Amino acid sequence: MKIKNITKRYFRTVALNKVSFEVSEGSITGVIGPNGAGKSTLLDIISGFQNPDEGEIYFNDRPLTLMLFKEKKKVLSYMPEHLEIYPDYYVDDFIRFLHGATRYIDTDLIDILNLAKVKNKKIRYLSKGYHQRLKLFFALSNTKKIMVLDEPFDGFDPIQLIDILEFIRSENRKGRTFILSIHQLYDAEKICSHYVLLNQGKVVTQGSIQTLKQTFGDDSSSLEQIFMRAIE
Amino acid sequence: MRQFLILSLKEIGDTFFSKTALLFLVLVSFIVGYGFFTAVGLYSRQSMAAVNNLLYARGFEPVPGVFGPTYGGLFLLFSLFLPFVIIQLISLEKEQNTFSILTQLPFSFKDILTAKIIASFLFLLFVLVLTVPCIILWRIYGGHIPYNELFLLISGYLLYGMFVVSVSFFSASLFDSSANASIFSIFLIITSWVIDFGKNMNISQALSSISGWTVTRMLKFFENGILSFTAAMYFVLVCSVFFVLTYIFLRFDLKSKWKLISLTVILFLFAMFIISNITLNIDMTESLRNSFPPGISRALKRVPDLEIDVYMEKADSRFEDYQRSFLKKLDLVKNDVKVRMMTGDALKKNYGLFVYKINGKSGKTYSNSENAIFPIIFGLGGISVGHGNKESNFSGYPLVVKGKLSMIRYTYYLLIPMGMLLAFAVKKIKLRRRFEK
Repeated sequence: MKIKNITKRYFRTVALNKVSFEVSEGSITGVIGPNGAGKSTLLDIISGFQNPDEGEIYFNDRPLTLMLFKEKKKVLSYMPEHLEIYPDYYVDDFIRFLHGATRYIDTDLIDILNLAKVKNKKIRYLSKGYHQRLKLFFALSNTKKIMVLDEPFDGFDPIQLIDILEFIRSENRKGRTFILSIHQLYDAEKICSHYVLLNQGKVVTQGSIQTLKQTFGDDSSSLEQIFMRAIE
Repeated sequence: MRQFLILSLKEIGDTFFSKTALLFLVLVSFIVGYGFFTAVGLYSRQSMAAVNNLLYARGFEPVPGVFGPTYGGLFLLFSLFLPFVIIQLISLEKEQNTFSILTQLPFSFKDILTAKIIASFLFLLFVLVLTVPCIILWRIYGGHIPYNELFLLISGYLLYGMFVVSVSFFSASLFDSSANASIFSIFLIITSWVIDFGKNMNISQALSSISGWTVTRMLKFFENGILSFTAAMYFVLVCSVFFVLTYIFLRFDLKSKWKLISLTVILFLFAMFIISNITLNIDMTESLRNSFPPGISRALKRVPDLEIDVYMEKADSRFEDYQRSFLKKLDLVKNDVKVRMMTGDALKKNYGLFVYKINGKSGKTYSNSENAIFPIIFGLGGISVGHGNKESNFSGYPLVVKGKLSMIRYTYYLLIPMGMLLAFAVKKIKLRRRFEK
């Protein structure tokens, strides 16, 4: 996937300014940056939920803006950050609905995300961590090739995070491509193979961790230190 | 198809089992019950004098006398409260961002909107089912039911309900907050009332012209027992245009929305122009109260271009009477009559006069009675009236209900609200038990 010169404006505010980068097949790309950097807007545009004012996204060399949304959603699954799954539904009810609609259910994923434990609960009464698991279940319980997840690790405790990271790695090994928006740089460092550093709507730098270390630090530099130097 | 059914069931569940819907249905029960109770009481009391008076009895018809006031409560409920029930079908999805779930599942935007429209339509049907006990009770009391006229009345309210649904969907597609969407949809609905009010106050000629095309004016056809092709098509078109606009606004992937919106509006105006030129009205009342006697109607159809100059204020009660008892009936037979409301010095000088003009000849009268008008019109047109110009032999249906009115109170203030509360509770308990198993 090639993202070329994407610009998005909201009246006079420029949310994204000529953002360009590439996502190679089978990679885990982390779009990282502080709050307000434009990460969610970028992921919305990649997923087809917003249209860019300028620029183009190419998927297998085909402009994504020319693809119909129904074509996009066959290959791409999106988990937006601000998603409050039907609060008055029971967890099991929601899973049944997804199953009925897609005729597909990943039972392993239910176990990995430990959703069976809360299946009798109303979604409204789930803890933040379990709500996040349900969101992940919705995004991942399919056979789509590209997963676009906005802040997927919010609300997880360290033990839960280990399980989720391992699951994403195993799915990645099966050939799935991940584009993750993460503002916790420590978490991003554990999972991503490629980074796009965004700040104030612009790409500050991008590349693998090795490339970034060579450019902005040394072997012992953390992603946080690299990011701070890159901004400077 | 199976997937669409699953989506439709979800939407039906979301519509029927929301707390807002429950409160609305309880309110419907109270208002319809109160309306029916009051209407039956009044009809019964007035009927006492008519039972032994054949002439007076002719004025007693169940639809305008009982069912009209009963269903009239629905007009207020649909206008002011239904938007709160319907808007949440879209607004909640937007507020919670669950549209991102539905759109990523194998449902098209069209599927999603259609399922929501079907759910709303079924909800409206359910509301109308709540009025069925009124018909049954009226039958138990020994009342007559003019089925055609009653069916027309119910159809009118169903169409009006769908209009409110379409406006609510449109508002919800425009605004992210359900509060803003609710206010906006009520604003759009009340605009129709404001135009009617402006027309009655004779504020401007433009407002008077528009007022002929307001939703409330079109609903009047159904309330008065006139099956009007124009009115039915008007509702279908207005609902369609709001649904199409909703679809366009919900499509976040569309780039050139304004082109589609312009095209929709142009097509709508074109379609409205076409239906405005087609007049097909049928009087569905048993008494034929909206029509002249058959012989008069036949003769009127043969009258060439008729113009009427009215030297009277629109708010004058004599003009209102003239409009109700003559112009409306005339419109059913002959819809190309030009009626001019005179103004200025001419109005002051000739106040109260009606001038009829046919082919350059004119005749005048101060009377608004048919007996004075028809000889002038037929004289000017040189037309003789054939047979069948006598009034119909409709005898009326006065009914004195003795006691038993408490059945209405039990049904609408107790049985129906309790039944709905029970159904709501059972549904919740069943769900919980299913999951506990």
